[in-house]
Amino acid sequence: MKKKKRLTLTQKRSLTGLTFILPWLIGFIIFYLRSLIMTVDFSFSTIEVNPQAGGYNQTFAGWENFRYAFQVHGTFKQVLTTSIGDILIDVPLIIFFSLFMALVLNRKFRGRTLVRAIFFLPVIMNSEAITAALDYSRQQLMGGLTAASAEVMEGSGGMSLDYYIDMFGSLGMPDMILEYIVGAIGRLTDIISASGVQIIIFIAALQAIAPSMYEVAKIEGATGYETFWKVTFPMVLPHIITNLVYTVVINFAESEIVTLSYSTIFSENNYGLGSAFALISTLIVCLILVIVVGFIQKRTFYYN
Amino acid sequence: MKKLGKTFRRLFHRQKQLNRSMAGNTLLFVLMGICGVFMALPLVMIANNALKPLDEIYQYPPKIFVRNPTLENFSDLFVLMNDSWVPFSRYIINTVIITGGGTVGHVLVASLAAYPLAKRNFPGKSIVFSMVVLSMMFSWTVTQIPNYMIISWLHINNNYLALILPAWQYGMGLYLMKQFMEQIPDSLLESARLDGASEFRVFWTIVMPNVKPAWLTLAIFQFQQMWGNTGSMYLRDEALKPLQFALQQITAGGAARAGASAAVTFFIAAIPIIFFLACQSNVLETMTTSGMKE
Repeated sequence: MKKKKRLTLTQKRSLTGLTFILPWLIGFIIFYLRSLIMTVDFSFSTIEVNPQAGGYNQTFAGWENFRYAFQVHGTFKQVLTTSIGDILIDVPLIIFFSLFMALVLNRKFRGRTLVRAIFFLPVIMNSEAITAALDYSRQQLMGGLTAASAEVMEGSGGMSLDYYIDMFGSLGMPDMILEYIVGAIGRLTDIISASGVQIIIFIAALQAIAPSMYEVAKIEGATGYETFWKVTFPMVLPHIITNLVYTVVINFAESEIVTLSYSTIFSENNYGLGSAFALISTLIVCLILVIVVGFIQKRTFYYN
Repeated sequence: MKKLGKTFRRLFHRQKQLNRSMAGNTLLFVLMGICGVFMALPLVMIANNALKPLDEIYQYPPKIFVRNPTLENFSDLFVLMNDSWVPFSRYIINTVIITGGGTVGHVLVASLAAYPLAKRNFPGKSIVFSMVVLSMMFSWTVTQIPNYMIISWLHINNNYLALILPAWQYGMGLYLMKQFMEQIPDSLLESARLDGASEFRVFWTIVMPNVKPAWLTLAIFQFQQMWGNTGSMYLRDEALKPLQFALQQITAGGAARAGASAAVTFFIAAIPIIFFLACQSNVLETMTTSGMKE
């Protein structure tokens, strides 16, 4: 201990930084990194459950699971592309909708708390407990109100939807955009109910903008439109990234591909293949996320 | 162009509030109304179901609003609660420990870790951060088996800690806190340091109050997550199980308990909403008074 060198200021600072992170890092390594590594390990092996002795036998299989996933498995590739396509469609819509709603809800008006609470409801409704409870009550109601209203929506929505598609199609709108919009309308309920958390994050971001900035903008004579693009939007942009990441994560967790790997693991007892599915899809979504976030980050203004 | 801007400005200035028009307000109101109804409908149904007598619950086609409201469902629920094998207060205490421990711990651990990630440079920072993002991406439904193995390896199986400790390390909270802390101007922290504040003091008295909306938001999420946790995977002792589990048992009781389970559903939904409302009113008042001046 006597020989201990005195630390330089930067070293000292980085040490304090590490002590702050430590409680999180230890838990992270124990609980998350380990299970991540185990899953990667499983995806390169064949797992056989051993009911007599208990536990399982693990034999190294190399790339066999990955080869099987892409070349032999019947539905994997198709499920993968549809779930990634769904994410690509849903995420921008959720972001725009929640930003818009946050802007509206951030205004001062009577009953604001109540309205905000209403928009937070879907977050609660999405939770496991409520979904389970709702399912039970739905069963008891023999396809009760929720199902009935969904049917009504579908019924009426379906009719007018076709009408609109025809109308815009005859106006010569490109099919790509048209399909996107039609898809968006079909997903309206999903999008509204999936944007509760994002709205809250955006509201918190809007709250974090110093009022003096708006004051300056007002004094300089900026219109509402200008204020939005020159003050609000740049200040909120970092949180668009936050929300983007959050939305992709949540959407991915609920996507078909995850369901597929889950069922491969737990109903077909093919742990190796299921882990491989999870690994492949996670890597692809991560890659997309890195590209998109990197693109936005370049345009982001940070305070300093 | 300039002239146009001026006339516009004059137009808007005539109204008391800037940039608001009657038509715009009406449009917004209608839009919000539609979306709001969409979102509120399930809750309205839950609330009304809780007040419906049995014959109305089974009515077909179902009605949204209750005709003859009773509190029978709630009294049924209390009877069922008193009949339970473990005293019901035990479930409530379990829930308070798990939800409280998970929420408070997560907010603290995540904020502590987020501060150096946002405002400090140290070796390995980018690696830590990319691990956070990767961990968020990896869906934990798939890693259930490794998770279980780790919990039993740590010998915290059948213990509150099995639910509380992993909850502290969710990547999302850290990510959220980091994003918000990045917005705090460096000069604010610098001035605190010049005044001789220790690093922890800077964190506790400057950073945390400034990101109060963020950590309150985080607390809302985390509460929501922990509240929904039945713990059926790790907790085997009935005396350790949370309220959520007991309530689901009642709900699963079948047709005879439809009334009580409607009351249960109402109860499950109501608590997080109350928590949200309590936090939300605090979120509103924070940033306006903070010392962010540049």
